[in-house]
Amino acid sequence: MSTREAERNASAQQTLDILYEIATLLNTQLDKATLATCIGMVENGANPEALAAVIQELRREGGARDANR
Amino acid sequence: MSSNPPLLDPLVNTYVPASRTNEVLRNDLVAHCQDILKSHIGHKAEPNFTQLTDSVKRRLLQLPAGSTSASKFNNLVARLLDQPVLTRKQEAVTFLFALSSLNSRQQPAIQLSFPSQPPPFKNSTNNAASDAPANLNREHGRSNASRLRDYRIYKGNSHINESLLVRDTLYLMQGISGKYVRFASSKEEEKKIVFNTDSHNIITAPTQALIHRLAELGHLYCRVENFVRERENAPGVGMIEQSLCHYLQAQLTEYYRLIAVLETQLSPSGRQGTTSPDDANPTEAETGLSLRRLDVWVNDWRLRMRMMSVCVEGARGAHGGALVNLIHSYTDNGDPFVRKFTDELLEEVSRPFFATLHKWLFSGELYDPFEEFFVTADSSLGHILYVHPSSIPGGINNLGNDDGFGADADDFLGQRDNGKKLWETKYRFRKDMLPLFVGESFGKKIFSTGKSLNFIRYSCLDSDWVVTREKMSNTGGILQYGDIGGLERSIDTAYQVASHRLFEVFIDKFKLLDHLYALKSFILLGHGDFADQLMETLGPSLGKPANTLHRHNLTVDLETAIRSSNAQKDPTGVLRRLDARMLEYSHGEIGWDVFTLEYKVNPPIDTVLDQEIMGNYLKLFKHLWQLKRIEKALNLGWMRVTGGIHTFIRLPQMEFEWHRIRLVMAEMVHFIRQLETYCRLEVIECSWKVLVDFLNKKEGDLDALIDAHRTYLERVTKKILLWNSKPGKEELLLRQLGEIFTIILQYREATDNFYNHCLTESARRDQAMDAERGVYTGNPDHDADVTSDVLSALLIRVKEYGSHFSDKVQAMVQQLQIHPDLDCRFLGVRLSFSEYYKSKKDSQPVPSSRGSQA
Repeated sequence: MSTREAERNASAQQTLDILYEIATLLNTQLDKATLATCIGMVENGANPEALAAVIQELRREGGARDANR
Repeated sequence: MSSNPPLLDPLVNTYVPASRTNEVLRNDLVAHCQDILKSHIGHKAEPNFTQLTDSVKRRLLQLPAGSTSASKFNNLVARLLDQPVLTRKQEAVTFLFALSSLNSRQQPAIQLSFPSQPPPFKNSTNNAASDAPANLNREHGRSNASRLRDYRIYKGNSHINESLLVRDTLYLMQGISGKYVRFASSKEEEKKIVFNTDSHNIITAPTQALIHRLAELGHLYCRVENFVRERENAPGVGMIEQSLCHYLQAQLTEYYRLIAVLETQLSPSGRQGTTSPDDANPTEAETGLSLRRLDVWVNDWRLRMRMMSVCVEGARGAHGGALVNLIHSYTDNGDPFVRKFTDELLEEVSRPFFATLHKWLFSGELYDPFEEFFVTADSSLGHILYVHPSSIPGGINNLGNDDGFGADADDFLGQRDNGKKLWETKYRFRKDMLPLFVGESFGKKIFSTGKSLNFIRYSCLDSDWVVTREKMSNTGGILQYGDIGGLERSIDTAYQVASHRLFEVFIDKFKLLDHLYALKSFILLGHGDFADQLMETLGPSLGKPANTLHRHNLTVDLETAIRSSNAQKDPTGVLRRLDARMLEYSHGEIGWDVFTLEYKVNPPIDTVLDQEIMGNYLKLFKHLWQLKRIEKALNLGWMRVTGGIHTFIRLPQMEFEWHRIRLVMAEMVHFIRQLETYCRLEVIECSWKVLVDFLNKKEGDLDALIDAHRTYLERVTKKILLWNSKPGKEELLLRQLGEIFTIILQYREATDNFYNHCLTESARRDQAMDAERGVYTGNPDHDADVTSDVLSALLIRVKEYGSHFSDKVQAMVQQLQIHPDLDCRFLGVRLSFSEYYKSKKDSQPVPSSRGSQA
C-alpha cells in the first residue's frame, strides 16, 4: 500500500514539475507552492480563467500594499 | 466550490502578506476572490485541447527564440498528457496560459479598468462593485451611438430593425413591394420607391440611400421580366429575339438563385431578430445579412441587370440582324466584365442567325421566317418553290420539290423568260440587317454565295450538286460567333466553291462560251464566209420594199448560207437558235433597213444575255451588216470599173473619167477595209480576248460574269459605233459614218448609171460601126445631143459624190484624230496613214486648229 502511495506521490510530484516548467516557460511568475494550490483548485472545479483573474488581482493588491507602505 | 475557500486563504496570504495579520482585509479579499471565481469570466474558452495548445504555441512563436520554447512547450504538454494524476489538464493549462504574461489579451483590460474605478474593497461589500469585472468591457465600450439608440428607444421612435429592412429589400429586388419599403404605385412615378415611415419607425437617410441602390436592381429586374413576358406571348417574334429572351430568362433564373441563397442567409437571423431584437444584433452582424452585405453580394448583378435592361430597351426598336448589331456595339468595351457578358449574350443571340447563315451559305436556301437575315427574298417574283418549304404555312405539300420540277419545267421556261431580272431582284441585300462583326465585304460574299447556290439549284436545275455540297459542309464544323476567323474562312471557301461551280455550270453545262462565240461569229459577223454567203443569197431580195419580204424566205436564205459556209460545222444547238427576221418596219423602208439576224437564248443563259444585251448585239449587227453591205457593193462596183470597162466598153474618150472613178473608188475601198479591219481586229478580237481570259480564270460570281460580259459588249459597241464620250457628240461620228455610207451607195449608183450609159453608148457605136460595115443590127435609137447632156449630168453627179465623200472622210479623220478613245484615234491614223487627208487639208487655205496632232 505504501509503495502505491509513494508511486502516486512521485507521479504527482512529476506532474507538478512539468506544470511548473510550463509555468516558467509561460512566465507566469508562480512559485511551486502557489502553483500546487492553484492546480488543486482547478482540479476541484474552479474556473481556470477566473482563478487567473484572482491571482492577478491579489498580486496587484499586494503590490499596491507594498507601494503604500 | 465549497472546497475553494480553504485554498484561497493561503493564496491571499502569499500575495498580500498584510492579510495575515489583518483579519478583515483577508476576509474582504477572500470574498472578492470568490466573487470573481463565481463570475463567468472566460466562458468562451477554447473548446478543445489542441486549439488551446495551438494558440499558446502561436504566442510563444511571437517571442524571440520562440521556436525552441514552442518545441519545449510541445514536449512538456506531451509529458503532461502522459501523467495520470490530473483530471483537468486542459483547465490547468488554460489557467497557466491565462496567467501568463504572454497572454496580453486580458492584462491591459484589467489594468486599465481598475484605476478608473474606486477599489472595490474600500466600498465594503458592494454589489455594483462585484458586477464590475463581468461588465467591464460592455460598460466601458458604450458608445455615443448606443446611448443615442437607448435614447431613441426611450423616446419611442426607434429605427426599424435592419433585418426587417433586409427582408423588404430582398422583396424589392424581385420587384415586390415590402412592408416598410414599396414601389410607388402611380404610373408616372414608376421608378420611385416609397418608405413607409412614421414617428415610431424611422429609416435613416444613409439606409434609405442604400435601399435605393438595391432597389434599382428590382426596377431593372421588372423591366427585363416584363420584356420577356411580353415576347413570350406576342406573335411573330423573331428567332433572334426569342433567343435573346431565352438568354435573359436564363440570367433571371441565376438571379433567382442568388436571391434564394440570400434568403437562406436571412432566415436564421431574422428569427433571432424577432425574438430578441437587441441581443440579436451583434450575432447577426457576425453571421447574418445586412444591407451593406447585400449591396456587395448583388454588385455584379447590378451591372449585369443594367446591361440586360439596356439590351431590352434597344431590342424594342430593333429586329433581327439589327438587334445583333445593337448588342455587338456593346462588345467594344474596355471593361472585361461587360465584354464577357456581351460576348456570351451575343453567342447566344446570334445562334439563329448563324443557323440561317449556314443554310444560306451552304445550300443556298433562305430559311428566314421572321425576316431577320440580311438577305430577303422578293416574294413578288412568286417563285414560292424557291423558299424553304417549312417556312411556308402548309408548306409540307410542296415538299415533293423534285417531283414538282418535272411537271413544272415548262412553266418555268415560260415564266422565267427573264433570268437576269430573277437573278438581280430575287434576293435583296439589306445592309442594316448585316451584323457588324461579319463586315460588309464578307456580307456581300455571303450574299453572292447563297445567291449563286440558289441559282445553281433552281435556275440551273443542279440541285444534286448543292445537296452533296451541303452534306459535305455539315462535317466542317458549325459557324458561331466565337469563331469569327473560322467563319471568314468558311465564307471564303464557300464563296470560291460556289462561284467556281457556277462558272462550271455556265461554261460546261450551259456552254456559255459556245453561245458567246456563236454571237461573235454570227451576230458580229465573225464567220466571214457565212456573212458573204448570206449577203449573196439575201442581197437581191433585201433591196425590195420591206413589206414584200417574207420571213420564211429569209429563213430559207439563212439556211442556205449556213449550208454553203463553214458555219454548218457549228454545233446544232447553236444553229438551232439562229434565226432571221424582220424588225418592225414603216412605209418606204426596204429590206436592208429591217433585216436582222437573231440569236435566241434560253434560261439560265439569259441571266448573262438578257434582253438589253441582246438589243445591243442587234444594234451592232445592224451596223456591221451595213458595213458588209457597203463592202459588197464596193466590191461589185470595183469589179465593174476595173474588169467590165475593159471588156465591154470601148470609149477611149471616157478613159480619163473612168480613171478618176477608179481613184475615188479605191479610196472608198480603202476606207471600208480599214474600218472593217479596225472593227474586227482592234475591237472585237481584243475585247474577246479579255473576256475569255476572265472566263478561264473562273473567279468571282455570276455578277462578275455578267459584268465582264457587259464590259465586253460595251467596249465593242462603243468602239464600233465610234462613240464619243463628250456630251452632245456621242453619235456624231456614227452619223458621219452613216452619211459616208449613203454617199458611197449613191456614188455606186451614179457610177452604175454612168457605166450603163457608157455601155449603151458603146453599143450604139458598135451599131454605128456595124452599119458602116453594112451589118444591120437595129435602129440607132439615141440622139447624140441628148446623150451628151445626159453624160455631163451623170459625170457631174459622179464628181459631186466623189468630192463629197472625200470631204466627209476628211472631216471624219479630223474628228477621229482628236477622239478621246485611243483605238478610235488609231483608226484615224490608219485611214490617213500616208497623211493623204492631212496633206489635202494643209493645202487648203483656211487654217484649222488641228495643228500637229496627226
